[in-house]
Amino acid sequence: MDKKNKIVAISGNKSAAIGAALSKPDLIAAYPITPQSSVVEALADMIANGEIDSTMVHVESEHSAMSVVQGATVAGGRTFTATSAQGLALMFEPYFRMSTLRLPMVMAIATREMTSPETVWSGQQDAVTVRDAGWIQVFAENNQEILDMVIQGYKLAEHKAVLLPVNVCYDGFYLSHLTERVEIPSQELADEFLGSYSCNHVTLDPDKPMAVDPLTSSEILWRYRKSHLEAMQNALEIIDEVDIEFDKVFGRKYGGAIDTYKIDDAELVIVTMGATTGTARVAVDKARDMGYKIGLLKVRFLRPFPSQRIKEVLNGKKAYAVIDKSVSFGWNTGVLYNEIKSAVSDLDRAITSMPAIGGLGGADISVDMLLDCIKKLDEESKNYNGQLATYWFE
Amino acid sequence: MNYIDLLRESEDLVTLGMSACQGCAAEMCLRRVLQVAGRNTIMTIPPGCMAGAGVVGWNFDNGLKVPVHIPLLDNTASFLSGVSNMYQRKNRQDVNIIAFAGDGATADCGFQSLSGAAERAEKFLYICYDNEGYMNTGFQRSSTSSKGSKTSTTPVGIKGGGKSQNQKYMPLIMAMHNAEYVATASPSNMKDLVEKVTKGIEASKRGFAYIHIFSPCPTGWGHDTNLSIDIAKKAVKSNFFPLFEVDRGNWKLLDNKNPIPVSEWILRLKKFSHLSDNDIIAIQDLADKRMELLRKLSS
Amino acid sequence: MSRNFITPIGDEGIYTLDTGSWRTFRPIMNKDKCVECGICMSFCPVGSITGNEQKIYAIDYGFCKGCGICAYECPSKAIDMVKEGD
Repeated sequence: MDKKNKIVAISGNKSAAIGAALSKPDLIAAYPITPQSSVVEALADMIANGEIDSTMVHVESEHSAMSVVQGATVAGGRTFTATSAQGLALMFEPYFRMSTLRLPMVMAIATREMTSPETVWSGQQDAVTVRDAGWIQVFAENNQEILDMVIQGYKLAEHKAVLLPVNVCYDGFYLSHLTERVEIPSQELADEFLGSYSCNHVTLDPDKPMAVDPLTSSEILWRYRKSHLEAMQNALEIIDEVDIEFDKVFGRKYGGAIDTYKIDDAELVIVTMGATTGTARVAVDKARDMGYKIGLLKVRFLRPFPSQRIKEVLNGKKAYAVIDKSVSFGWNTGVLYNEIKSAVSDLDRAITSMPAIGGLGGADISVDMLLDCIKKLDEESKNYNGQLATYWFE
Repeated sequence: MNYIDLLRESEDLVTLGMSACQGCAAEMCLRRVLQVAGRNTIMTIPPGCMAGAGVVGWNFDNGLKVPVHIPLLDNTASFLSGVSNMYQRKNRQDVNIIAFAGDGATADCGFQSLSGAAERAEKFLYICYDNEGYMNTGFQRSSTSSKGSKTSTTPVGIKGGGKSQNQKYMPLIMAMHNAEYVATASPSNMKDLVEKVTKGIEASKRGFAYIHIFSPCPTGWGHDTNLSIDIAKKAVKSNFFPLFEVDRGNWKLLDNKNPIPVSEWILRLKKFSHLSDNDIIAIQDLADKRMELLRKLSS
Repeated sequence: MSRNFITPIGDEGIYTLDTGSWRTFRPIMNKDKCVECGICMSFCPVGSITGNEQKIYAIDYGFCKGCGICAYECPSKAIDMVKEGD
């Protein structure tokens, strides 16, 4: 890799691959699935060209992809893999174990709608459905953020007070396949930021024989869960620390677990997660020109959920709409909506809220569609309080 | 060194008090494998009889004197692929990496990951103890259960006659994976078993090694606890469980031109007590045809 | 060692059950008939038969489950299964 920073126009998948490459993983598990396949293809190219010195294991399914990286991590290595939708679903068994064994790694998810109906296109259902499997999940707004969060992900995951695997999620096709301006930092900067690899997690090693994950009785199992929850809360602070440190080395910062845009004097807020944020910034500007006092709340980390910061940001606002690219079956809303509503549930004054669902199965959410949603939020919140009817982008 | 001397002088690295059934051949084989492998070993033992018996540890204690991990039922081979690759990278090829898995974890849900690891020529030794069923969870049938086996999911009744399908023959399937070393072994032929485990460990430094062990189960199959070795011996002598190995493509078969009839041992098992004469002929036929095929492959 | 309850690990001791209490029969060696071949040791599932440098084999009754394989397989019929308590 080049010693200087480079500015290129690359896809989200390429950005993820470069972020991984700069982090010098020992082992990469590769299995193709739309729309992430070009992540592992790019890494395979880099290995074949001698640009990186990682071992690539060409597994026969995503279940094995997660199992192979689990074995390699327990053997004391830094690992990487990528998946989407059906692959994520297939690997759920070892996926849950990766976090509960407290093993650090970074996995890219090019988020995609879950089948059925039969689909291969963009959505967030895959990543949000596994949000309670104990991983840290961050959603990128653009390709630069993908690259940066893969590198930050390793720093966060391997931190002694965290020791949890990280998902860097980004919208399938909209980010994975579309080209954006990205600054690729030099290997030197990445090395400076990540330092040399030190293994803080448990290992299988004849020099230190132990049973890794013995059968565990109910008297002590809860202690591991409690410690995992504590690690997630530790992560909330460390996310901010890593963001600040990243800024010092690379000159880019993202605001930590959430980011906001024109929110201080806003009365209305739209809440987004992922690529929609980029469109939403434009929509907010246009809406403000039209007279709406609107701001944007960008949720970066879905897990751990930054409920305190969200509560502070939304406190005193009149109404908010949450743009969900997923559904929460059993609720008449998306997934993020419920999380936000829960975060603000103990404010003195309840805020009017509107669940909005769109962008499913590859559908676009354009600036005009967001403006319509903002208008609807404004109208409805003038007449009604509490939870407004679910708004479906058509 | 002859195998008795080796076993006498090698440390038993398995906990002495494990809750495997009396007469369990798998417990016996696990001890032998670890006696051959020694302390410089990483073991993985998926859920099953051995894990259930305590060898993967309980709360804060280990069940072995070597590092051990209990993978998921279906990913032993892929987990070890990761471990093996990482240990290669760390230049620690001396560490023995061994799986000791039941037939359920091997031939059924773990088959995909096993086949993938074998095809990729991952460097570790995978040993399957085949007690023909999911014995730890209550003797449910698996794909390696023999035809006619009475199991808890293929019981015998007016409408049921035990398992209706023949067993899936893992040794030949694995032999078709271009592995470094594939072998069958029986605890009754202990010298042969010890030699094959030794060869398997050595082969695992070069590529993928697989050993399939015939593991009589007194509790699940329904025979007296002191007959485990005898049943295994007769299974070999009747050509039902031939002993062969494929070492870097070279086939070697322990042939037996004068086998005893299979009925000499299958009728001593309660799981076959309901078999008709035709059923017994079918099993005899299977054994004969399989042996014939192996003779052709190893000529 | 202090527990952090991060990854579940078993590193304090060896898990052991009192399987010796399972027996209803115990194997008794008849040293007159024993030819010190070591086959009983090779077939003991629980590792309760060990041999010393002089190749003398002995049964440790701490964990022996009384399965009877050693008695059945001994080529010299030098092991008898005797009812516990007799």
